[in-house]
Amino acid sequence: MSQYDAIVIGAGAGGGVAAYVLAEAGKHVLVLERGRRLAYDEVGRDQLRNHRLSLYGHNTGPELDGNPRVFVDPGGAVQVVRPHEGPYHNNAMTVGGGTRVYGGMAWRYMPQDFRMASLYGIPEGSSLADWPITYDDLEPYYERAEWEIGVAGDGKGNHFQGPRRRDYPMPPLATNPQRLLLGAGAARLGFSTFTPPILVNTVPRDGRDACIQCGMCVGFACPSDGKNGTQNTVVPRALATGRCELIESAMVEKVLTDAGSNVTGVSYFVAGQRKIATAKAVISSSGAIESARLLLNSANEMHPRGLGNDYDRVGRNLQGHYYPGALAIMPEPCHDGCGPGISIATCQYNHGNPGIIGGAMLCNEFIKLPIIYQKRAWPADVPKWGLSAKRFMRDTYTRSVHVQGPVQDIPNPEARVTVDREVKDKWGIPVARLSGTTHPETLRTSEFMRGKAEEWLRASGASKVWSEPGRLQLSAAQHQAGTCRMGLDPRTSVTDSWGRVHGHDNLFVMDGSLHVTNGGFNPVLTIMALAFRNAAHLAGTH
Amino acid sequence: MPIPEDTLRAAIDRIIPADDFPGAWDAGAGEYILRLLTGELQLSQIVESGLKGLESEALHCFARSFISLSPGEQDEVLTRISTGDVRTTWNTSPRQFFDTLLNLTNEGYYSDPGSGGNRNEIGWRMIGYETRVPARGAAHGRENVL
Repeated sequence: MSQYDAIVIGAGAGGGVAAYVLAEAGKHVLVLERGRRLAYDEVGRDQLRNHRLSLYGHNTGPELDGNPRVFVDPGGAVQVVRPHEGPYHNNAMTVGGGTRVYGGMAWRYMPQDFRMASLYGIPEGSSLADWPITYDDLEPYYERAEWEIGVAGDGKGNHFQGPRRRDYPMPPLATNPQRLLLGAGAARLGFSTFTPPILVNTVPRDGRDACIQCGMCVGFACPSDGKNGTQNTVVPRALATGRCELIESAMVEKVLTDAGSNVTGVSYFVAGQRKIATAKAVISSSGAIESARLLLNSANEMHPRGLGNDYDRVGRNLQGHYYPGALAIMPEPCHDGCGPGISIATCQYNHGNPGIIGGAMLCNEFIKLPIIYQKRAWPADVPKWGLSAKRFMRDTYTRSVHVQGPVQDIPNPEARVTVDREVKDKWGIPVARLSGTTHPETLRTSEFMRGKAEEWLRASGASKVWSEPGRLQLSAAQHQAGTCRMGLDPRTSVTDSWGRVHGHDNLFVMDGSLHVTNGGFNPVLTIMALAFRNAAHLAGTH
Repeated sequence: MPIPEDTLRAAIDRIIPADDFPGAWDAGAGEYILRLLTGELQLSQIVESGLKGLESEALHCFARSFISLSPGEQDEVLTRISTGDVRTTWNTSPRQFFDTLLNLTNEGYYSDPGSGGNRNEIGWRMIGYETRVPARGAAHGRENVL
């Protein structure tokens, strides 16, 4: 007899929600999280070792040693990389996952984002496809995510959004000087703007304080605990049911099956020991890279290519987001220093761009830490050292504006996760091997959006505007998605429209892996909404 | 071989020179770099070897130690190194050394004081960045850590 109704692997955006929905529905759930719970002071404030800038380490795992990946660059060079190095494409591995340290932009995808192939056709070499569900199918669960996790926003502000039945539960972020400048620029160009929605308490809610506007959102934990992740909402609620058990520092090795296709549980390592847990259903919510790795590593005699991988689909279509944008210097200071800093967005260019596939939401940036301004924003025509460099920092930091946005990735089946044949992690488990690049159409859209960001900044009165051209590469870090895409045909997808792995009635994926396409938006609210929907279906409460 | 601190100081004070705000060394960038390098072997080797190269470059071009050159002469040596246009034999890539030193100096001037640099938040005060993070998490002691 199974020990649990369900085992959820990973306590991030998808897994936290799945565990909560199942436990609330009366199911007995085991959550296995490879990271630890980290308190605010453990995550810390190191501006060089965090998920925004990880020069010498990370603040939320995994540990730098013993957790390598293999990266194959576009030229074919193979390197073994550590978690804080860029090619690793890391996401936070801790209770809450990326939601522990994210900025928390809370976007719904647009109705068009679910039918990209129908709208635009399929570019040669791309695996662009429609989702097997529509925006309308997901809408009630977007609402549930917005209310249960906690989103602040203006439900009427975005003229391009799909229909919504209910407004956000909290009022939008306060305005700031950048909003005034960019709002005037948008008006000159004739497009509409609004306050971006965010998973942050703008008022006290859920027993926790409001945001204190510290300005260290992205890459860090929140000092007022007013940033809403799964670690301070659905995970504690799941545990409070008494039917959910969470084991930290538990690394899952394999999903186990019986002699047929039925999944029986998992093998995992905790405190140096290999253990087995059995369940009626297993849900992988490990992120698009680790979920694919797990299905592939779970190969056995009955399923020699891995679970759900009879047609060599697991791990393909790895997507993330290009972030084209531009920087500008304004004539007058326009920083009030108050976080989060984002204050104005537009969805004018998500779709309907002539000759371009998809597009992106554009938004001003979160408060930019000075060291990130120095490292990532430097214009090519300013000396990098000496007094003029110092003056540039001094004279421009409070006058700088950065506008950027996540470009809808055009999936490439050759951008993929496989498991490496030689390199193993500290538990002896073969590691993820990342290879390929996005489709060239992504780069074309990205360049288009870069031009739009520059145009917006110029129209907003900038005295200097600059940006860097993109280049073809893999993009799959915090916004990783697509590797176990949903679909109706097992030959072209990995799961059905409920996240159930084809060929395995009781094996599910509930994370960004499911995304057929990844929207021109931060993906987290969609990960949460899908988990609310699919877990409810699994629990029989849908 | 330890890092020659006087040479390091002279070099980073040209990368971020003093004006009415302190130069790199007095702002704590030197302390930041020395502390970081104790745990970063590869970077440490680049900096050590590069500072040796920088000194030999100074001797070759001006027949004097780098620390006794005028600011203009020091800048000339650093410019050569930054563009790879060196006159002596180097054991490390001059440009990689320069870029490393440039990055480390900026990190020591503009990142958080917790890493040993940006003394009294002087780099932040200069540019107008004010950290609004409380000394302790406002939620300290009652944050929901499950």
